[in-house]
Amino acid sequence: MIRALRERLESKILHWALRLNRSSRYRRLRERVTDLLENNQNPYKRLFDLFIIFLILSSVFILIFEVKHPVPVWLDYYDIYFVSFVFLVEYLLRLWISSDLTGDLVREYEESSTVGREFRVWPALARGLRKKLAYMVTPAAIVDLLAILPAYRPLRVLRIFVLFRFLKLLRYTRSINQFVEVLATKRFELLTLLGLLFFVTLTGAIAIYVLEDMHNPAIHNIFDAIYWSLVTITTVGYGDIAPVSEMGRVIAMIIILFGVAMISFATSVIVSAFSEKLTELKEERIVEEINRKEEFLIICGYGQMTKMFFRQSEAKRYDYIILDKDPQRVQEALHDGYDAIVDDASRHETLARFNIKGSRVTVLCMSHDDVENIYITLNAKSIDPRIRVIARAGTPEIVSKYERAGADHVLLPNQAAGTMMVTAILKPTMYKAIHAIFTGQNVALLDEVRVLEHSVLAGQSVGSIDFRVYKLILIGIQKSETKEFLFNPEDSVIVEIGDILLVMGHKANIAYFRENSCLDGRKCLR
Amino acid sequence: MSRNRIILFGYGKFGRSIADTLVESEAEVILVESEESRYQASLKGGFKRSLLIDVTDDSALETLPVDPKDQLVCVMDDDHLNVFLVLSLKALFPENRILALSDSIHATRKLKMAGASQVIDLYAVSANRIHNILNKPIATRFLEGFLDSKHEYSFREIVIPEGSFLHGHSLDEIDFRRYGVIFVGMIDVELGNSFIFVTTGLEHKLDSGDIIVCIGHDEDLDRFEEAIRHSEEVSE
Repeated sequence: MIRALRERLESKILHWALRLNRSSRYRRLRERVTDLLENNQNPYKRLFDLFIIFLILSSVFILIFEVKHPVPVWLDYYDIYFVSFVFLVEYLLRLWISSDLTGDLVREYEESSTVGREFRVWPALARGLRKKLAYMVTPAAIVDLLAILPAYRPLRVLRIFVLFRFLKLLRYTRSINQFVEVLATKRFELLTLLGLLFFVTLTGAIAIYVLEDMHNPAIHNIFDAIYWSLVTITTVGYGDIAPVSEMGRVIAMIIILFGVAMISFATSVIVSAFSEKLTELKEERIVEEINRKEEFLIICGYGQMTKMFFRQSEAKRYDYIILDKDPQRVQEALHDGYDAIVDDASRHETLARFNIKGSRVTVLCMSHDDVENIYITLNAKSIDPRIRVIARAGTPEIVSKYERAGADHVLLPNQAAGTMMVTAILKPTMYKAIHAIFTGQNVALLDEVRVLEHSVLAGQSVGSIDFRVYKLILIGIQKSETKEFLFNPEDSVIVEIGDILLVMGHKANIAYFRENSCLDGRKCLR
Repeated sequence: MSRNRIILFGYGKFGRSIADTLVESEAEVILVESEESRYQASLKGGFKRSLLIDVTDDSALETLPVDPKDQLVCVMDDDHLNVFLVLSLKALFPENRILALSDSIHATRKLKMAGASQVIDLYAVSANRIHNILNKPIATRFLEGFLDSKHEYSFREIVIPEGSFLHGHSLDEIDFRRYGVIFVGMIDVELGNSFIFVTTGLEHKLDSGDIIVCIGHDEDLDRFEEAIRHSEEVSE
């Protein structure tokens, strides 16, 4: 009878696990919850965090307010039921996503069925549950659980657990997490210190207890002695308990000296931990900042080229981050007022830190070392082919290597300067014209106009658009579908949505053209 | 044209390719090097008119066969030497147009102060190119089209010949598109050869002797140049 029941239960559990694991809705839901709770990039996470922080603060405020004032019943109910309920739900959700129980079960089941071993539900379930338990005993999870407890009214002492709600804030404030992380790097020193403190306190306590228990009216038991010892060693010295015998005073003097030494030691350990970590923390902030942008540049190398790049006025419109392996160069960049971090862009982890999925990223390989540039190009393209790479190459022979690595644009500084020089020598007038166009002076701006929806241009033939009215010259069209560039297109070519017109003219005229070609004053050209 | 005589100082990392391109464009080039090995390289590279002189020595520079119309191009590998050379040349041949290439931010200003008529800053050119690629990829590819030696399209200055049908017409009346070329502007000889873009709202009656500037494929430009020799517009 019991056996049959057990077998039925076993098959039920397995059946459910399989079903949930296969259900795409379940999986999607799980992913969404994970994203909401753990992905910092998710915009709703911010809202959710703010909501929880509000609940925490209001709950703690009620706790303080209650001490002296009567609170209305509804506020009490809000505190007991609503806040606790939300925390309970949050706790359960976190527990749910902490490990994949059904996934683990199914995986074990599949493994054993492929091997041909008999599948036993209970050990597998136990292993899965152990993972959950491992999550439950982490400090954060314990705080979360304790924060739910004040909902149990009959035990008045549980009210103090509202303070755990306060501790819950830790989860939502990064600076404290970072503080703990920094301290964790000095775990060995701090633990040694703590051990020493414990030892000296205890020794002092035992000594004073043995020596003064008889004639010191303030010391009743060993707890009083430990209390005195700790108050003395930390140099707090309330003075409610004081040694009365000469021997007692000698002990007090010794442990005071110990205390001063230990506190200064502890301070120096913490300070040095922070100064070591400070640059790293700053860099993390810079990376996070840039990851929020829709489009940004990762500039590899801070050399002459990068400096020149930033000197030109267009540079202001980009969001960027500079990476350089050499700390000295990064120092220089920071000194010049640019955001830079010390990191090696040819490493996978470095580029993976950036929000490649969410934003449009362009990597500029500006180093003069071709090997490094090609390596960075390959690295970027292997992470995501959508990353645009613009690389600088040393010699024309190596360009094909860059192209094979996947670089979208390869620039040859020597050659570019050389051709400019030749143009300047042979066709001085042309040089001025091209220079004017390249540097985008007002008279002859060469600009791209993208045809979007709601444009009157869409569907018209080139011949029917009168560019002369706008004092513009149509140089060519890049068709949206074929990506083919038609130079000086024939009158019969039809302009379609998504096409890009290359026009030349005065800045103001181009702006006027953009405004005037739209229906209902909407923005239709870019 | 005597205008195309160029005296090129330096046959190093920049000089070599510049010299080659200039020769390809049928310009008359005189090479000057101060270092033996590079001088030998230039001889091997097929330059007959190559001179080996100490460019820091003014009396040696004085002996150079410089015409006031020659262009002096300083592309020595060493930045310091380049600045020094520009300074000496400016003192010796104040009439000449001196061009210089700078491969560091600091040298550009010094070259200008030393008296170079035009300084091309390697990094400025490249940085500019990157900005253009980022902002206007299509326009950049197009412009690179003419700078490239492959010549997809080119800019061409065309002198309107005597007796052309263009003579006496205003710019609005001419259908340049028929010939597959785009008219972009004119060169005003009176205003010191300055270039005037059509987009400034240029209104002008063409005379023979005017220089117009067009862009297009080379064949189309050739055809256009041929067509305007005739006194009547040929209808197809």
